[in-house]
Amino acid sequence: MAATAGRSGDRGFRYSLVAPSIVILLLIGVFPLVYLLVVSFQGITMMETDTSFHGLLNYRLLFSDARLWQSLLHTIVFTVVALPIELGLGLAMAQLFIDRLPGRQVFVALLVLPVVVSPIVAGATWSLMFDNRFGPVNEIIGWIAGKEMPLLWTVKPDLVYVAILVAEIWQWTPFMFLLLLAALSRVDRSQLEAAQIDGAGYWRTFFRIVLPAIWPVMAVAILIRGLDLFRLFDIVWALTKGGPGTMTETISIFTYVKGFQQFETSYTAAVALLIIVLLSVLVLTALRRVSLSR
Amino acid sequence: MSDLKISGLHKYYGALHVVKGIDLDIPAGEFTVLVGQSGCGKSTLLRTIAGLEVADKGAIEIGGQRVNDLAPRDRDIAMVFQNYALYPYMTVFDNIAFGLRARKTPKSEIGPKVAAAAKMLGIDHLLERFPRQLSGGQLQRVAIGRAVVRNARLYLFDEPLSNLDAQLRDEMRGEIKRLHQELGKTMIYVTHDQIEAMTMADRIVLLREGVIEQQGAPLDLYERPATRYVAGFLGSPSMNFIPAGVVANGAAISVRLGDGTSLPVPAERAVGLGTWQGKPLMLGVRPEHIGPAGRDQRPGLAPVQAVVDLVQPTGSRSYATFQLGGVAAVAELQAHDVSRPGERLELSIDMNRTVLIDAATEKVISS
Repeated sequence: MAATAGRSGDRGFRYSLVAPSIVILLLIGVFPLVYLLVVSFQGITMMETDTSFHGLLNYRLLFSDARLWQSLLHTIVFTVVALPIELGLGLAMAQLFIDRLPGRQVFVALLVLPVVVSPIVAGATWSLMFDNRFGPVNEIIGWIAGKEMPLLWTVKPDLVYVAILVAEIWQWTPFMFLLLLAALSRVDRSQLEAAQIDGAGYWRTFFRIVLPAIWPVMAVAILIRGLDLFRLFDIVWALTKGGPGTMTETISIFTYVKGFQQFETSYTAAVALLIIVLLSVLVLTALRRVSLSR
Repeated sequence: MSDLKISGLHKYYGALHVVKGIDLDIPAGEFTVLVGQSGCGKSTLLRTIAGLEVADKGAIEIGGQRVNDLAPRDRDIAMVFQNYALYPYMTVFDNIAFGLRARKTPKSEIGPKVAAAAKMLGIDHLLERFPRQLSGGQLQRVAIGRAVVRNARLYLFDEPLSNLDAQLRDEMRGEIKRLHQELGKTMIYVTHDQIEAMTMADRIVLLREGVIEQQGAPLDLYERPATRYVAGFLGSPSMNFIPAGVVANGAAISVRLGDGTSLPVPAERAVGLGTWQGKPLMLGVRPEHIGPAGRDQRPGLAPVQAVVDLVQPTGSRSYATFQLGGVAAVAELQAHDVSRPGERLELSIDMNRTVLIDAATEKVISS
């Protein structure tokens, strides 16, 4: 009897120790989510604080909002184009730097510099680089072309995607490079030598031995960058603010504009929930794929 | 017909001169062991033969063809690595088949070839497993299987047994030797373990600081070492070296140790020793050539007095340490010939089997 009481008292003590962190987690993690859900069923805008129950009205609006789906499409385009390029370039650079070259440390440090810069600063920098009057990009293209090239990088519809992708890839390829360099340098050298003696060429060695060895790291890098790209905001905001028109508007920019420029609070809550659901499905599938392949 | 011919080979790592002019001629079908302490250049030599390192000077010929500028894959070699270097994401079958597939062997031949190699090594029941599911000995067999499945001209082994425990090492040693007899291929085997070298080799090439110290059949090296280094490297426990000099008394020659002990040299071995009078020498005596006095009446046995310092029984034999000529010497005795430290023993040294070494050059002058 006494022992049971002691044990249950013990358990109570343990719970009381864990309780504060649980409460904080609930407060900062679950409460906003629940509140978001509640708000998304109401009709709050800049004009009125209508807290009456509107049912699925906002969600119905979601499906007929062409601008929302377009911004989602833009986001997917950015992700699908930038991610493979960052991965490919990062991997190629890592392969180059895997051998001990003189000055390797210095070069790696220089290459990694863009990652250190805040994305909004990177965006602002590239917006200066792409400036049509005094930007070095146009200047250099002018030298090559042999005449002045006042290209409107952040305005012309056919150039604006290129400009954003260049800035994005410039900033985040080093991240891939760094992770993949670490992964590559841990590939067992003697396995590569054994493959060399076995007569395997470069690609066979890469696909059969190197890739399986670096895949766990690579998968995590792809996941992290994929999520980042899905939330792409700063670079686009600094370069185009989603323009011209809404041409480069990503889902994050769309949400920001709806919520904090047009103050359609309840509708924005519904958009936010849609993004959360989409990303959760994506991440969970990706994680399952990675853990299965191990 | 030599399968491997190396002439004037040099290899540098930056300023470090690792291989300093090696000449080597290995006949087809021979099992050659490159042995030496770590850092003697034996692994570098093997990796240079394989093409994993570039020779800085000198020529390497495999089967009569100069291979200096050929990639490893074109040298007709197979290699077994110290840490097995199996491909972790492939099954045993795929590991063994990897080289065949890389060389575009027809699919219909791969299956039977892998099966035959696996059977020869007793791993045919493991073909569907992954390397992480295997024990050390099994991993080593797979690594050997991967080499033998490719009908190469030259097989290279880079300390393949050093990651195994003692018992497994003994077993695999015999296995590799048997494999050599079955395949009849030229094999070059690198080890730092003199027992592996002695037991497996047709020929031992003993390396020291990047040069060949001596090469020959195992027992030739053991019985007729060219230098003090070779004499001390082969054999366990290793040879005793006692500072000595020769004294001629008419035609009779004897070896005099630092403490005045005089050991008569048998007449047929004394030829030419007279000229070494007055020069500092070393007497090299193997522990097994020191035995209890009086058990044997052969000529050439020189009696010595010994007070035992230390006894190390191994079961069949016991190693007794005692002072001889001012230094510690070890005698390998029958287990019951010696019982405890402090014991006084009458021992005799078999002067027919000793070597005399010039202390200045460390070269053997009489063996």
